[in-house]
Amino acid sequence: MKILMLVMLLCYSFASSSGDTTIHTNNWAVLVCTSRFWFNYRHMANTLSLYRTVKRLGIPDERIILMLADDMACNARNEYPAQVFNNENHKLNLYGDNVEVDYRGYEVTVENFLRVLTGRHENAVPRSKRLLSDEGSHILLYMTGHGGDEFLKFQDAEELQSHDLADAVKQMKEKRRFKELMIMVDTCQAATLFNQLQSPGVLAIGSSLKGENSYSHHLDSDIGVSVVDRFTYYTLAFFERLNIYDNASLNSLFRSYDPKLLMSTAYYRTDLYQPHLVEVPVTNFFGSVMETIHTNSAYKAFSSKTSNSKINSEMPLNQLSEDDELQKANIPNDELKTEKQKCPYTQMRVDLQEKLEKLENVDTVVNLSIAVMFIVVMVSSSLL
Amino acid sequence: MEGTSGSLNPTTDTSGIMPEFDPKTMRSSKPGLKRLFITTSVLFSFLLGVPFLWKSVEIYRSPLPFHDIDSLSDQIESTPLRFPCNFHAVFVGFRSTDADNLRSQIQDGINQLTHLSPQCGSCSFSLSVTIQNPAEQCSETLGHNPSSCSYRCGMIKSNDFGVGLDDTVDESLNDVFSGCSANSRKMYSVVVVNKENANGEDEVKAVVGKRRHAWIVGSGLEERNDDMVSRVSEIFVKMFMNGGRDEDSIHGEFMPVGSDGRIVLSFSLLNSNPRDWVYDWDFQRIDDALLAPVTKALAPIANISVESQVLYHTPKSSFSSWDEQLQSYIFRTSDLPFFVNSNEWHLDTSAGASGRSKILQFVVYIPSGSECPLLLQLPNGEISKTNGFISPMWGGVIVWNPGNCDKDSESPIRNTISPQDIEQIVEIFLGQFRQLFGFKSEAIYTSVLGTYKILPSERGFTEWELDVLSRKHTCFNLHSCSTTLSSLSKLVRSLPRMIIKDEIGEQVKYSLKAAKLAQSNASLGGYSSSASSSREARSLAENAFFHPSIMSVSYFSYEHCFAVYSPFFLPVVAHVVLAALREWKRYRQEKAKYLTWLTRKKTA
Repeated sequence: MKILMLVMLLCYSFASSSGDTTIHTNNWAVLVCTSRFWFNYRHMANTLSLYRTVKRLGIPDERIILMLADDMACNARNEYPAQVFNNENHKLNLYGDNVEVDYRGYEVTVENFLRVLTGRHENAVPRSKRLLSDEGSHILLYMTGHGGDEFLKFQDAEELQSHDLADAVKQMKEKRRFKELMIMVDTCQAATLFNQLQSPGVLAIGSSLKGENSYSHHLDSDIGVSVVDRFTYYTLAFFERLNIYDNASLNSLFRSYDPKLLMSTAYYRTDLYQPHLVEVPVTNFFGSVMETIHTNSAYKAFSSKTSNSKINSEMPLNQLSEDDELQKANIPNDELKTEKQKCPYTQMRVDLQEKLEKLENVDTVVNLSIAVMFIVVMVSSSLL
Repeated sequence: MEGTSGSLNPTTDTSGIMPEFDPKTMRSSKPGLKRLFITTSVLFSFLLGVPFLWKSVEIYRSPLPFHDIDSLSDQIESTPLRFPCNFHAVFVGFRSTDADNLRSQIQDGINQLTHLSPQCGSCSFSLSVTIQNPAEQCSETLGHNPSSCSYRCGMIKSNDFGVGLDDTVDESLNDVFSGCSANSRKMYSVVVVNKENANGEDEVKAVVGKRRHAWIVGSGLEERNDDMVSRVSEIFVKMFMNGGRDEDSIHGEFMPVGSDGRIVLSFSLLNSNPRDWVYDWDFQRIDDALLAPVTKALAPIANISVESQVLYHTPKSSFSSWDEQLQSYIFRTSDLPFFVNSNEWHLDTSAGASGRSKILQFVVYIPSGSECPLLLQLPNGEISKTNGFISPMWGGVIVWNPGNCDKDSESPIRNTISPQDIEQIVEIFLGQFRQLFGFKSEAIYTSVLGTYKILPSERGFTEWELDVLSRKHTCFNLHSCSTTLSSLSKLVRSLPRMIIKDEIGEQVKYSLKAAKLAQSNASLGGYSSSASSSREARSLAENAFFHPSIMSVSYFSYEHCFAVYSPFFLPVVAHVVLAALREWKRYRQEKAKYLTWLTRKKTA
């Protein structure tokens, strides 16, 4: 009996060390609109509507990476400047408040997209432009634009192939950058884009099969272009009925797509995804989850001390010069650089600079040095 | 040319003695080599240029030590890393002299509690037992290494215990065992004291100290031998080996160290409605006095930096209800996931954190006047003592209610949180910080055999807890380093035309060196040095893997290279080769013609 218990504990510990039982800690969303130009208004409206939905359900801006060409709101052809609508009733302005675009305009390239997914940025890229997910994150990846058989067109200039996407997802899985990934694609022949995926933990849904087109929903005669795509329209309709506390399942979302209304077949792929769709709430990907643990008690490190005014006794320290405060700022050190020796010339210059900064009255020094120079010149010219 | 087969021209018939000359099958002069030479020299010069072309399209790939990477990952997979620990048990006031028997009993107890197969980061221990009888004579087991810091008989007296604070007992025990801390091998000791005169109390008190020793005090312990043996083995396994937790290993979500080995602790004081009251804190003092020891203690495990901010107009997004009985506003544990209002709380504004550090947010939330006082109610109906919660890998939130909730109807004054309140808040923060690392926030451990009081240290972690952290983090870092390096080598081998810069090669080399150093330090028993070198190994491996030049989309396959260069060279090369072949054929033909002429001449 004891041996059986031990064996079971052993198996559990092995399983937990392999990461299968990591808890779900946070949600991320990567929303990509791959088109530009005025006639692709609907793609930007798609992405912005999904952005708004995901924010409303609780994912904060710091965990959303939004890639847009962003040339609609201030386009010269826009009758309603600084406003983007996804419905001809113009009830909702998607560009209204708090839209934080991370990659805009010409920064939306295949290379940047793959860099976001794999995490290979230059050192100077700020944290807000990075996908800082960890092994407990669920990521929602939404892509919209013009696509075809196993590719997706990026900004009319380049294309993303399905094997590039599969390769990036494979690298993400190897580096444990996600626990579960949901890919949602709204383009023509969308289901072909995730043909080559093989990593476990990935759920993918596309708006149309190979050979089918995805259509726009309706034309706004005021603006002059179509304002939303069918697949995204029906997705949003599903989410407008939800609020932050609901737990509708993914299965109900996927069942809500009617091929007759979509005029294409929304195809989803669950062979790489283990949990049953009926049991997975949509807030696993679209909403915010914070796994919380209550703090039972404080760690009474200071109450046993007799001098409980520990901070007051440190008063003299506070009167240190301000230079110490500067040293507390964090300057990330490159470990390899510390191994190289500092050039003596730069060291001398740095010392000189420090000395100069400490000088109280720079003007007198300058005047003094000019006078000295004058005297030297006079003396040397008289000697010659 | 029409062939006049056979029939000779009547005009040439007059040659008479000369043999028949057929210009089509014979030639009178030896064929020259000039044409052949010219064409083959052109072809030859093309062939000569091929190595230069090859060299110019060659890409630079820094040689990565694939073999070493594979051997490191095999090593880490096959043999889990174990650290040497020394366990020492001292029984004071026991009359028996059979130390070896006790030792084997304790060893059995420990083996029962640990799993049969070793986990990474566990201890390979050596156990020694000393029994000191009331007459202060000792009998010892034959230890494996008679080290210089063996226990001197009579140093511990049973009168020391039970009198005075536990802290003083801890200090005095530290003096007894402090000789051993100089060695690299860490010695963990448990002292079991059997007091002779029982003042009517029959209870057994067990305390675990701040350094590396624990003690159990009670009377009549010699009779309860089995009980004592199991308690001693429990202290050794559950406390000193596992850090006061029930499981053996720490999950990944309780290892909040960033992949460059840094953690940024970001403290925010949130004034939810500054129109009611505004609070400020003197964070410089907090950092110098209270947080600096914690940061220093954790230095081998992570490079911790601290920053703080004060924010205003930061309401929370969940709701609370008024409870008449408690005379306060209540929010429940079911509201906790929705407490953090990420739209209004701009917490992630760190300027100092680089891309791969981990930021832990610690928020002190001051509720507005309309929700004051705000208390957290647990599912069993109790009110929380700390009003705080954590989210693993994110940080923690503490709700702090101002002293009196009366709103000042005039303009709000800026208050500073008093030092006593600050200490309380920092104590809760230390509890949360421990929770984020996988430890318990309370200083007590309960098991079927009894409760153990754990003395809290002002560094946030006791020394034996720091040892546990070092061991587990060394394991985790080495495992992560080896998987990263093997992923990198797989990736590099799958893209044969990708440029690999020198920087990547150097980082891989240093990472392997640091990993080997960590492994050797671990086998010698240096916990903190192995933790810091394993951290370096992991950070260098991650730097190499996430180097921005490794993008598959920028590098093309062999087919692409061929497709780029063939329109330039293929047509020209085809012509040159064909010309050479044609010349060669022509030369052979002419040679044959000349030979037939010669034979004709001879026979004629």
